[in-house]
Amino acid sequence: MKHSFAIKPFVACLFVLMLLLCSCGNHAGSGKHKKIAVIVSTLNNPWFVVLAQTAAAQAQALGYETKIFDSQNNTSVEADNFENAISAGYNAILFNPTDADGSVSNVQEAKSAGIPVFCMDREVNSVDAATSQILSDSYSGCVAIGKYFVEKMNKRGKYVEILGLVGDNNTWNRSKGFHSVVDFFPGLTMVAQQSADFDRNKAMEVMESILQAHPDINGVFCGNDAMASGAYQALVAAGKANDVKVFGFDGAQDVIESIQAKKILATGMQFPKVIAKTAAMYADEYFKGKRDFPKKMPVEVELVTQENVNDYTGYGKKE
Amino acid sequence: MGKSVLKYAIAAIVFILVAYKSVYFKKLDEVKAEQSAKTFDAAKYAENFWTKKLTPGLHNAVDIDTLIPMLSSNPRQAFDKYSHALGIGNLRYFLIQGKGNVKAIGEDDITLSITRLPDQKIKIATLFIFGNAVRDASGMVNINDFNNTMDFNNVSAEINKIIRVKVLPVVKQLKVGDDVTFTSAIELNKAHLNLSQIEAIPVAVQTIH
Repeated sequence: MKHSFAIKPFVACLFVLMLLLCSCGNHAGSGKHKKIAVIVSTLNNPWFVVLAQTAAAQAQALGYETKIFDSQNNTSVEADNFENAISAGYNAILFNPTDADGSVSNVQEAKSAGIPVFCMDREVNSVDAATSQILSDSYSGCVAIGKYFVEKMNKRGKYVEILGLVGDNNTWNRSKGFHSVVDFFPGLTMVAQQSADFDRNKAMEVMESILQAHPDINGVFCGNDAMASGAYQALVAAGKANDVKVFGFDGAQDVIESIQAKKILATGMQFPKVIAKTAAMYADEYFKGKRDFPKKMPVEVELVTQENVNDYTGYGKKE
Repeated sequence: MGKSVLKYAIAAIVFILVAYKSVYFKKLDEVKAEQSAKTFDAAKYAENFWTKKLTPGLHNAVDIDTLIPMLSSNPRQAFDKYSHALGIGNLRYFLIQGKGNVKAIGEDDITLSITRLPDQKIKIATLFIFGNAVRDASGMVNINDFNNTMDFNNVSAEINKIIRVKVLPVVKQLKVGDDVTFTSAIELNKAHLNLSQIEAIPVAVQTIH
């Protein structure tokens, strides 16, 4: 009797375990219980909040469990996020990197664990680490801004450039696109070029200090809209908002409103929702067996000016 | 005493060995040469692209006499058949060719009327030679062949330099009334198609005598 009581719970446990294993296998096959991690460079900037939330919402709409990880613009926090996502059993990562070079090892780690990584907006400097990289065509967007800048400045004047994070390729693609045009006009002189890390408050401080040294500037080009808003705020405080033309990049809601109110002249409309949805759809297609993804998929940037601003809303076109 | 001397001697030898193996010297010239070998040479790539790929295939550019009527009657077909673009979006690029007559010479461009479509005007840029129009209109440069987008974009900047050196001097010789043949890259927005303000980046321009 004792003998039979000892065996029965063991057999029952084995049976339950087998049932669980079978059940897990079935769910993996249907793709319904897979999990997608969204690892984003920062949630301290509304543009990246839209990017992360849209990616998560699209993945959920496709039937996946999701979680957003904030890397706080810090590559080591990002590394922790990758470790956590890998150990928690996430099956794909929709990734917005903090650093083009510094983030490569994190992507490689996920790849080694068999987890596909789809980069969003920002690039990592590796052709084979990520499964696909869906990137804003920042260079072309800033060529368009550069041309508009030259026209609006009447080909002459002093200007300032406020850069984003120096480790991010987008920072330099934007700067290079802008300078590929503006540097051909000898009447336009850049009197200061400083980084404000894509941050509104830092840009305000940077602009305040530049204005002390160069009170006679005519234009400011900022590598994103948060910095354009910060720079504009500093110009308002210095009583120079009407004398200095401000140009941003992103297509953030408050800057679209500022262009409508004729405070900021122009921005480059990136499409974070298009980027995020494409990344989530790529992950879904990956689970369904697709493997031949384009290594890089550029997403076009459109110039938003006071002439065409009514076609746009924050982070995209009006429906 | 003897043992401690031996101990210090061994420690000193180990220290010297570790220090020797930890530091090495290399000529700065060699390091710089290694770095430049790894650096992508956009100017060289652009020159090869221009001479070996783009200019030998210019006769394949779509004739503007064919393109403009098709863009008016069936824009979707025109975009599908003749345009190129890299990724997701409404901006598409065409490599066009045709014949025209110089109507006006401006500060930044030259206005041509198209010989067989006299109501159609295009502006050939003489100042704003920027962006990716030529690279992308050709459909012959693939972003996935490049390690990073900066290298890819530097190719455009170098192609534009070639245009300034090889093509613009010819364009700037033109006078009002000249008949010309041209091959150019143009950018059109398929969601907001505007055929009245076509701006073209010149790739080849010749006066018809």
